[in-house]
Amino acid sequence: MPSIPDATPSHTPRLTVALVGTPNCGKSTIFNALTGMRQKVGNFPGVTVEPKSGEVHIDKITTRLFDLPGMYSLTPKTPDEALSVAVLHGEHDALPKPDAVVFVMEGTNLEKSLFLYAQFAALNIPTLVAVTMIDGIKASGGVFDDIAMEQALGVPVIGIVGHKGIGLEELREHIALRGFSRPEAAENHIPVGEGIEAQYEWARALAGEVAHTPELDSLTTKLDAVFLHPVIGPIVFLAVMLLFFQSIFAWATPVMDAIEAGFGSLQNLVDATLPAGIAQDLLSRGVIAGVGAVVVFLPQILILTLFITLLEDFGYLARAAFMVDRVMGVFGLQGRSFIPLLSSFACAIPGIMSARIIASEKDRLTTILITPLMTCAARLPVYVLLITAFVPSTMLGGFLSLQGLVLMGLYFLGGMSGLLVAKVFKSTMFQGTKLPFLMELPPYRFPTWRSVFLTLFHRTKQFLTSAGTTILTLSIILWALGEFPKHQAPPAASPIQAASLQLEHSALGTIGKTLEPIFAPIGFDWKVTIGVLGSFAAREVFVSVMGQVYSVDVSESDENLRTVLRSAISLPTALSILVFYVYALQCMSTIAVMKRETGSWKYPALAFGYTLLLAYGASLLVFHCARSLWG
Amino acid sequence: MNEIPVGSKARIVTYTQHDSFTERLREFGLTPGTIIRLLRKAPFNGPVEIQFRSSRIVLRPNEVTHMLLERIA
Repeated sequence: MPSIPDATPSHTPRLTVALVGTPNCGKSTIFNALTGMRQKVGNFPGVTVEPKSGEVHIDKITTRLFDLPGMYSLTPKTPDEALSVAVLHGEHDALPKPDAVVFVMEGTNLEKSLFLYAQFAALNIPTLVAVTMIDGIKASGGVFDDIAMEQALGVPVIGIVGHKGIGLEELREHIALRGFSRPEAAENHIPVGEGIEAQYEWARALAGEVAHTPELDSLTTKLDAVFLHPVIGPIVFLAVMLLFFQSIFAWATPVMDAIEAGFGSLQNLVDATLPAGIAQDLLSRGVIAGVGAVVVFLPQILILTLFITLLEDFGYLARAAFMVDRVMGVFGLQGRSFIPLLSSFACAIPGIMSARIIASEKDRLTTILITPLMTCAARLPVYVLLITAFVPSTMLGGFLSLQGLVLMGLYFLGGMSGLLVAKVFKSTMFQGTKLPFLMELPPYRFPTWRSVFLTLFHRTKQFLTSAGTTILTLSIILWALGEFPKHQAPPAASPIQAASLQLEHSALGTIGKTLEPIFAPIGFDWKVTIGVLGSFAAREVFVSVMGQVYSVDVSESDENLRTVLRSAISLPTALSILVFYVYALQCMSTIAVMKRETGSWKYPALAFGYTLLLAYGASLLVFHCARSLWG
Repeated sequence: MNEIPVGSKARIVTYTQHDSFTERLREFGLTPGTIIRLLRKAPFNGPVEIQFRSSRIVLRPNEVTHMLLERIA
């Protein structure tokens, strides 16, 4: 059958527009406001490091918009700046040279934006300037003269208040109607190639002419007096971190219980409607149990993401980086590494990508290599399962949960080990000249709910997509490996014994038993071995595999699995598993992103190798110590 | 930079060396003639926060060796 041509062919070619601006100028807010849900986020959430792309539809005109990482000048100093500059020069491999640019300027700090514009004007790309936070100029008694600015810049200028939506409609119309012009139209001369000092002189003069702003906003000064106070500052920092880890446990439980119950009733429904047999078994115990066991952890992952997004948008992460710089210095790193490392507590992938903000290549590679040791959200299911099974739910002093403290200890173990490993790398492979530490402290800003919501929405979408593809596939493969070849149980065996015998004689059981000798020294029997092997594709698979090997309906209630585990696994083995998961890099996506970000297989191979070695070594130590303590 | 007490101001006279770090400092707006104020020091000889015009940046004082400063208050 011939393909039917599009009923309404578009006669106007689609325009590609890039958002350009200095870091923290409010580009992401504008991008979110323009594209909304129609974003093609490069699969990964977090800080804007991968150019996000999206579409703007106005009067049936579609424009493709992408958000370039912020930059201070056209002479790049960091990998993310290099990416933006390459795109603007049309030298990027994957992204096209934009047809036009929306140049976003920060209304309360115009100098820096105008300086960048003085360099950018040399490219003479059709441009439209959007000035954000013009309410900030007016609030401080200033005026914003967009007409004078248009004359000086040679391009249209639109004032915007992102969180109130002012100016956004005008901006959309301009984009749709292609209201761009080239900087060469400027009435007066722009010092495009005259050196930094001349460009700043021009930028300062123009900024003074078009907008009068105070030197510093007083809210930021007041807040910094507290958050960066020599005594109060570190206390606040520790309190934020403590709240961060406690909330993961305390707030997520009710929602998790509800999700568990939902999958449980779904399973009952399938069992009741489908005739008993392979189809029912596959759907109920392969698909629903496998995917359900993982989806249950969505609330915790969302809380984690929410926390990091709020801290980032508010401006606190940069302060935290300032405070921990001294500590990072002990391990040969800089405060900047803190942001990728903290993001890695949600997921190593955005962490590895946001390492692009680190100017020094050696520091960047070291940071990337240790991101897998930061406890990502995918380990949570494993930790939660084992901690709730083996650690009593005592409240210390009436409010600190012992389980929460153990969890925090595991996070701490991973983080501390990561820093020590960084020290080793920095004093061996990556020693030598280091680039100085330099970072801007952005003004505090209240996060816009819309922006936070979009981040959470995309994170959910990404997680559910992964649950629906990778984890679903793995669940089915594991189910099949456990079901075949069929084993005929003796007639006297109970259904549970039969299931257990079936697994022992299946392909999965054979694999586990073959590899058991390798893992026996660290206390893993063949059942745990299967779980650990399944996790090498994605860690969270461990939970569903444990459910399968102990033939427990995980989705019905985690409590069943916990009870079974308590009798099937000894405490030393449980501790050994926990420690193994602290260190081992069991994530294919991380390896793939590491390869892409470092441009070679050398670094992912190194990361995989050293983490496996650490995992095995530490588990060996913990298993034997624990066994001699508790027999 | 190490010699400037917290809360006081200084003027950037010149840079004694041109490399990508001093270029970045100038691109941040720390051009010769700019007046900076040292806002605070992080504990244990950590980085310092400086303010100039409407920006705040943090850096390690012992790494800013090529910025020639003149105390003014």
